[in-house]
Amino acid sequence: MLRRRWSATKVASYVFTLVALAAAVGMVALFVIQSLPVWRHEGSGFVTGTEWFYRDGKFGAAPMIYGTVAVAAIALLLAAPLGMGAAVFISEFLPRQFRLLVKGSIELLAGIPSVVYGLLGILLLRDWVYEALEAYEPLSGDTLLTAGILLAVMILPTVVTLADDALRGVPSTQRLASRALGLNAGECVLFTVLPQALPGMLAAILLATGRALGETIAVFLIVGRQDNQWPESLLSLKPLIEAGQTLTTKLGGSETNIAYGEPLHWGAMVGLGLLLLALAVVVTILGVWLQRISSRHAT
Amino acid sequence: MRRKLIHHLLRLVTALCAVCACSVLAIIVWAIWVRGWPAISWQFFTEQIRLVGAAGGIFYNLIGTGILLLTALAVSAPLATGIALMHGVYWQHSRHRDKLTVVLYVLNGVPSILFGIFGMIVFVQWLGWGKSWLSGGMLLGFMILPTVTVALMERIASLPRQYVEAAAALGLTQSQTVRSVILPQSVSGLITGSLLGLARAAGETAPIMFTATIFAGATIPGGIKENPVLSLPYHIFILAQDSFDPSVGSKVWGTALSLLAVVFILNLIALPARLKIHEEARPG
Amino acid sequence: MSAPVFQISNLTVTAGPRKLLSGVSFDIPPGGVFGLIGPSGAGKSTLLKCLNRLIVLTPGLRVSGQIRFQGSEIYASGVNGDDLRTRIGMLFQQPVVFPKSILANVLFGVRHLGRIPSAEWPTVAEEALRSAALWDEVKDRLKQPAGRLSTGQQQRLCLARTLASRPEVILMDEPTSALDPRSTEAIEELILRLKTKHSIVLVTHNLRQARKVCDRVAFVAAREESGQLLACGTCAEVLARGDVPELTAYAAEM
Repeated sequence: MLRRRWSATKVASYVFTLVALAAAVGMVALFVIQSLPVWRHEGSGFVTGTEWFYRDGKFGAAPMIYGTVAVAAIALLLAAPLGMGAAVFISEFLPRQFRLLVKGSIELLAGIPSVVYGLLGILLLRDWVYEALEAYEPLSGDTLLTAGILLAVMILPTVVTLADDALRGVPSTQRLASRALGLNAGECVLFTVLPQALPGMLAAILLATGRALGETIAVFLIVGRQDNQWPESLLSLKPLIEAGQTLTTKLGGSETNIAYGEPLHWGAMVGLGLLLLALAVVVTILGVWLQRISSRHAT
Repeated sequence: MRRKLIHHLLRLVTALCAVCACSVLAIIVWAIWVRGWPAISWQFFTEQIRLVGAAGGIFYNLIGTGILLLTALAVSAPLATGIALMHGVYWQHSRHRDKLTVVLYVLNGVPSILFGIFGMIVFVQWLGWGKSWLSGGMLLGFMILPTVTVALMERIASLPRQYVEAAAALGLTQSQTVRSVILPQSVSGLITGSLLGLARAAGETAPIMFTATIFAGATIPGGIKENPVLSLPYHIFILAQDSFDPSVGSKVWGTALSLLAVVFILNLIALPARLKIHEEARPG
Repeated sequence: MSAPVFQISNLTVTAGPRKLLSGVSFDIPPGGVFGLIGPSGAGKSTLLKCLNRLIVLTPGLRVSGQIRFQGSEIYASGVNGDDLRTRIGMLFQQPVVFPKSILANVLFGVRHLGRIPSAEWPTVAEEALRSAALWDEVKDRLKQPAGRLSTGQQQRLCLARTLASRPEVILMDEPTSALDPRSTEAIEELILRLKTKHSIVLVTHNLRQARKVCDRVAFVAAREESGQLLACGTCAEVLARGDVPELTAYAAEM
């Protein structure tokens, strides 16, 4: 029967999959093509240039790349140890009857929208940071540091959940064998479980980083959105207590609307989007790859 | 002695981390609740905005978010089903299968603002729709596609092999098996995935702020072109930015609380099914 | 008669409303191999795990009754299960090797328990591997990953790992059921050799193995929906008994 090979269901599945794939590929292609003007104009100077004055045709993304990385780095520095520590406790020491409750609560909290975090950032965090930094005479509470702290809270549930997954992925037989030799619970965690959970934990950090890199709204509201904040020294801490700009906050601002219609300016904005996309994709792929490695070792 | 110390120290340090993490998050929920509860009332949900958010309610914001979510569902459910079936049935033994999964996971990691920019180019400019609820819904549907698809994929993968084998033994084709066995049995995965996806979509501002939503003046859209909607997250976003008028204060927190309620309820309904799959998938 | 290694009295293990083991009481004398035989699912492994308190690591199970090890009650409050397990070794049904080198596996317990100075470790490792009849096969590749060994070799590696800590007693939970006949025979020969130096408690569902290796056995089977001890004595005595219907049925199947 000719009908057998290609039924409606099969055709529909193929079509829908192709539509989704086409949209994904189309999005990437669109970003590449529409940003071409700025690549032709600035070349690699787009990435390394430290000045952004669109009226003068100067488009340098470096301060925004710095902002994006700085904010994500602060977030990770705070959230990764805290989150992994919490995950170890929840996975290895928490009595089983509480596990579902605690895990469920954390997963719910992972769903808090970024705009709500932004609101909290404005109304609580901003003033706290301003007061805490009084000795350094900050201009306001809207700084890269503030954004980093807020992001840390935002990615904390993600780190905890994924790290817990990684720990749970270590087979219980390994724990039993280790305990049967006489190791206590803490030693079992340190010397048997954690080494085997390592790829998964790294994956957790990477995927949380991806989320931090791509966060727009919450950061937008408290980072100060100051262009051209290129630090004199990349390692100095002073720029962190000043206002800054990230790739996402630039894109989320009014300049995006202004830029449309001017090929070069619009190309520059899309170029920022392309850079952001590249960063996020690389980090995500690394994270997923590590997750695959860790699940291959489980069972 | 040193060995016991390691154990107790590790337990103590990690317990502190857990307490710290949980309290931070508890403080957040409490802070929102305390500030937002005063604004909640029946009128809050049934009136519309007045005085630039200083008075009135969020009626059309709720409607707008509802419209966006329904559209997103209509877009993502069929696409997710198609992809999940390719992954679980038609491309089961194909080398394309893994590439499909990778694309999904990468799509999940794409920053939401980029969906907004994409939508701006395609819907606002090329199609000339201006700001439209349909663009927003489609973009959100595209954005939550990985969430919905993965939940469905997991459900299909966990279906007992006997069902499929029994159908095949009866002489059913692949597609007949899909229609009569696989799809009906995996509806719960689609529902779970959709709930989780919609919970995420409800709170997103970046994809819709260039393409679909405005702050005031919209009610119920009458067509596609130039028919934006109000929405909960964008409402909060705009009010949060202007230097704060104290009289607006509790209204914006009330909106935040309402948005949280929507997100939490959607997540809560999906939670039991999801945790079950999650825990079952892990040994020990 | 020398003092028993284990004295179990009225041991009951429940999982919620279900009784896995009910009112089990018997003694295990020192030296030799003591077998726990019976049909699958009767509770033999559960019983074994009670002997080294590993059972408390399984959530949801409640243990009541008394077990004395070398005269001391091991379920008394204040007893440290980890210390107990340094004196009692355990071999599982599926060999559980750590994802490390062969040498690191053998020395894993030794390294972390810290009772043997590191200078002696190479000697301890060799001695353990020889006792497990694995030395000749791995002496040239000690640094290689243990995962590369065959299942039978992995089980002997697990045995070596246990022996390195010099336990007084070794518990074995169906150690050969995942192995091919050749490896099974190798392990059985090892058990016969080891029993002069260690007391061994062996769970097996294979009567041939029990007859070959065990000195005394206890027959555990389900009666009234919980595992119970239905016969105890030398292997010959128990298998000759005609008054236990579950035993007769079991022996007939084997």
